[in-house]
Amino acid sequence: MAEHAVDERQFRRSAQKSVGIELELQLVRARDFDLARDAADLIERLEKRALSGAVKPEITEGMIELNSSVHDQYPSLLEELRAMRDVVVEDAGILNLYVSGGGSHPFHDWTERRITPSERFNLLFERYGYLAKQFTVFGQHAHIGCADGDEAVYLVHMLTRYVPHFIALSASSPYYQGEDTSFQSSRLTAVSAFPLAGHMPFVADWAAFLEYYDKMRSFGIVGSMKDFYWDIRPKPEYGTIEIRVFDTPLTVERAAQLVAYAQALVVYHLAERPCEAARAVYLVNGYNRFEACRYGFHGEMVEPYAARKKRIGDDILETIALVTPHAERFGAGEALAALADVVRHGRSDADWLRGHRGKTGALADVVRESAARWARAPDRDA
Amino acid sequence: MQLGYLPQFPPALTQPILFGALLAAGLLVGEAVRRYASLPRITGYALAGFVLGPQISGLLGPDALETARVLIDLSIGLIVFELGFRFDQAWLKRNRWLFVAALAESVLCFLAIHLALLYLGFQALHAASAAAIGTATSPAVVMLVAHDQRAEGQITERMLLFTAVNSIFAYVALTLLLPFLRLEHATNWVLAALHPIYLLVGSALVGFVACGVMLGLARWVGKREDRQFVLLVALVVLTVGVARALNLSVMVALVMLGMLARNLDRRHVLMPLRAGHGGQLFFVILFVLTGASVEFGALATAGVAVACFIVARFLGKAVAIYAFSRATGLRRRGAGLLSVALLPMSGLAVVMLHDAQSLVPGLHGELGAVVLAAIAILELAGPVATQLALRRAGETQPEPNDG
Repeated sequence: MAEHAVDERQFRRSAQKSVGIELELQLVRARDFDLARDAADLIERLEKRALSGAVKPEITEGMIELNSSVHDQYPSLLEELRAMRDVVVEDAGILNLYVSGGGSHPFHDWTERRITPSERFNLLFERYGYLAKQFTVFGQHAHIGCADGDEAVYLVHMLTRYVPHFIALSASSPYYQGEDTSFQSSRLTAVSAFPLAGHMPFVADWAAFLEYYDKMRSFGIVGSMKDFYWDIRPKPEYGTIEIRVFDTPLTVERAAQLVAYAQALVVYHLAERPCEAARAVYLVNGYNRFEACRYGFHGEMVEPYAARKKRIGDDILETIALVTPHAERFGAGEALAALADVVRHGRSDADWLRGHRGKTGALADVVRESAARWARAPDRDA
Repeated sequence: MQLGYLPQFPPALTQPILFGALLAAGLLVGEAVRRYASLPRITGYALAGFVLGPQISGLLGPDALETARVLIDLSIGLIVFELGFRFDQAWLKRNRWLFVAALAESVLCFLAIHLALLYLGFQALHAASAAAIGTATSPAVVMLVAHDQRAEGQITERMLLFTAVNSIFAYVALTLLLPFLRLEHATNWVLAALHPIYLLVGSALVGFVACGVMLGLARWVGKREDRQFVLLVALVVLTVGVARALNLSVMVALVMLGMLARNLDRRHVLMPLRAGHGGQLFFVILFVLTGASVEFGALATAGVAVACFIVARFLGKAVAIYAFSRATGLRRRGAGLLSVALLPMSGLAVVMLHDAQSLVPGLHGELGAVVLAAIAILELAGPVATQLALRRAGETQPEPNDG
């Protein structure tokens, strides 16, 4: 742990504005579409396949995590994600498993979850008890490369303003433990229970951040940067900032579009430096976050710089228009146009899931449909 | 003084008393072997039955076994239905080697036992029917150990799939052998040949019709767990009754019902079923009663033959599973665990043996005794093997107080 910490103080330089993605996915069994517990078997199989990225275990046995490699361009990221998806779906089929996106499994019972046997996960279970099992929720993490620590701190402050956007655009966890939560995204509630959840403190630069970090370490509250469960956090060993508020969407296409949006925001802010970091962003953050989780695009957010309320959907559309020219540079113009369509037609993944509960009302049918959607070629996606 | 309101002495042993006592005895011994010997509860139920049965104390006579027939049929019906219901055609499409592997497991197991029995000098046709009976893994044991241990994973799923396949294989093989066996006793050729067709087609047809009714009613009832459970029990009992009334195979009719219900349910009207506590009651009685029918008779005289039967059976299964483990995507060490998990034999084999014996008196002799003794051993040791395999596979989740 100690040597780890020394490394962490160094912000590793990475290709500026490059992106990588981590997707936590649901592994469901064919019999009843409840979560499976075969992640280890699937991962063992996938280790023998020549994958460009990695597939890793997660805290409970019905979860896997897909990691992409690093990309500058949107099309190559999308292509890699599609290739990985196909291999994972195929190998899961051999084991009679289905793979699904979505921020929460609609009806699994958390008490039935089993912790993946590994030192790290056992420690987490010992420390957090039932929270560890309830943490069987599925998020998408986007990494965006930064030149240095100061830039990372600046970008965290900037992107925090867009947290409600990220939540509303990715929301795909309307059901939790067999109930319609009435939220668009219920996943973040499971994250909020952890003592170090929340957001980065309002620090001016990397030096100030390190001062905070050292203090937290000296209190014995954290052992490493990994212990911060923030919505957006600097990741010095990768030289990135990591956005962690996204629900895992229902398709890899949407996952790539979300990363493209974040990448475009970064490019825009670095190119134009339109505003300074402001404490007000953090004052309104909790409210905005709730509105986005609860109402999605129809929620109201407080625009911290102008100090006025706005419909989240409208704010997203305006922002997309603003950053689209920057997105063209990495081939993501179409991706942002697709996101704008989602907002205009109110077709978030959460809406799709509710729409597919169908006549029977059975949530197992929703999982069957969402697994089919995950595996499906994009042209049949609409 | 007239005391007509007093019962006779001793009071008659009524059915409620009998079943209540069976349940209590099963529960106590099951719980005891789990606590003090870490053995599966099922082994305890069977032990309780064995002690109460004709072999030891004689408290459970043949009469009691006959009156409990309904309960046995019902509980076997539920288990076999679930086994069929977990037979997933979509999986066989996605993993094309799986069905080949399951079939190979049955065929090799059959051949291995057959060869062993030929080597021991048994008559070829008789050896073949004994081998057919030996091919089947006990559906009740694997299903109940899986439930009891809350097992979930690749070994568990394959164990259930292979059991469904080898149970049907065993029944079909034995049924096809019937005309040849009966010919020895010089009955009418045509009549003899029609019999297996009647059994196989008839049993399948009963399952098919029941499936049609079940899907139709389920659609009308809607996706509500409580109602669908009642519907399920109703149709399972009906199918058991009809199959029995028509002298057909209860096992084949119910596996068919389960398989078809799972795979023909295009509109997804059925809920995935979970055997609740109600099921547990039947299962205790089932295993106490099968324990009562355990016969070790041949062990003393034909111990070697019994050992050969068991070893050949295991090897046949293991070789096939090993041969296809890579192709079917089984993990390392998985083949061994799966082979061990498939060891149990029990009631199904006893029923098949009795049915065959009633038609072929030649099976009453030493061979029948060998098969019965093998069943007895694997009835008691089988659950232990299955539980061990699933635990080693890391697929079980014992209750917190299981220690």
